[in-house]
Amino acid sequence: MDTFSRPQTERSPLIDFDFANRRLRIEGESYPEDAASFFGPVFKSLAAFLAEVSAETRPAPILLDLRMSYFNSSSAKALMNLFQMLEEAARCGTPVDINWNYDPDDETMQEFGEDFGEDMECVRFNLCVLDAHVF
Amino acid sequence: MSLAEEYLDSYQRMVAQGVIFSFVGYVSDGILFSLGEALKQKMRLDATDTNVTKRVFSIFVEQVQNIIRYSAERLEDERGSPSELSSGMIIVGREQGHFFVLCGNRVLREEGATLMRRLSELAAMDRDSIKSYYREKLREPAEAASRGASIGLIEIARRSSRPIEFGLTPFPGEHDFFCLKAFI
Repeated sequence: MDTFSRPQTERSPLIDFDFANRRLRIEGESYPEDAASFFGPVFKSLAAFLAEVSAETRPAPILLDLRMSYFNSSSAKALMNLFQMLEEAARCGTPVDINWNYDPDDETMQEFGEDFGEDMECVRFNLCVLDAHVF
Repeated sequence: MSLAEEYLDSYQRMVAQGVIFSFVGYVSDGILFSLGEALKQKMRLDATDTNVTKRVFSIFVEQVQNIIRYSAERLEDERGSPSELSSGMIIVGREQGHFFVLCGNRVLREEGATLMRRLSELAAMDRDSIKSYYREKLREPAEAASRGASIGLIEIARRSSRPIEFGLTPFPGEHDFFCLKAFI
């Protein structure tokens, strides 16, 4: 599998996993009716990719870029699951970066970024303030 | 009392209570989405601070999803969830300069007692304890999620600007009526 993607909707984020280039992207709002059924295939595709990566002798770095503006508590749990999968891969030797992009005025997203970041030990979790001029 | 007088009476009572909108009846996920959009639009028009808007919206979503998931008054088809409809009450308003989101629904008597216990623990926590409780819940594997307060309730407590208010009262039959009010 080279890619996995889901278009952004009003209630679910863009998922753009470019496995061939090891660049993963999640963007938007997330409060789907059924978080388990939305995120289930996302977990599955990432798990399959990470299984392939774990067989490599010198795995190339993986980058996950996030730019969320809102998510509900079930989605927060789902994001945490994704981060834990990447943390496991990083612990086993794959370099992993997670970029948590947020609007400088967005207190909630900043706080979430700090919370998630504190739980990562092997992943490099980067808090990235978006340039205000872009808006 | 004429029809208009009768309903003007309840309309005025609600306006006096600062109600922005209220909803009583079967709540679907589509209703959650539409009311949420209306709420965001209303706050945008009022030039509400965006961080406040986000906290109101966040509490609104968690409260309504709690009704959808946990109301004991529900219609379900044999195959369960897609067409399930849970019944409850949603009120969003302003009181003394603060937004509030109030939800009410029927719960099974034994569930109501557990809910009260968990909410009392949550309401007694300070900001930092709520934050670390939330983080603990976030890390917890899905199977363990039924212990303690749900992450949705913790999210509500966390986004509130003062301790959450809640209550339980007997409803005729085997249910209790539960309600939770959060101020932002």
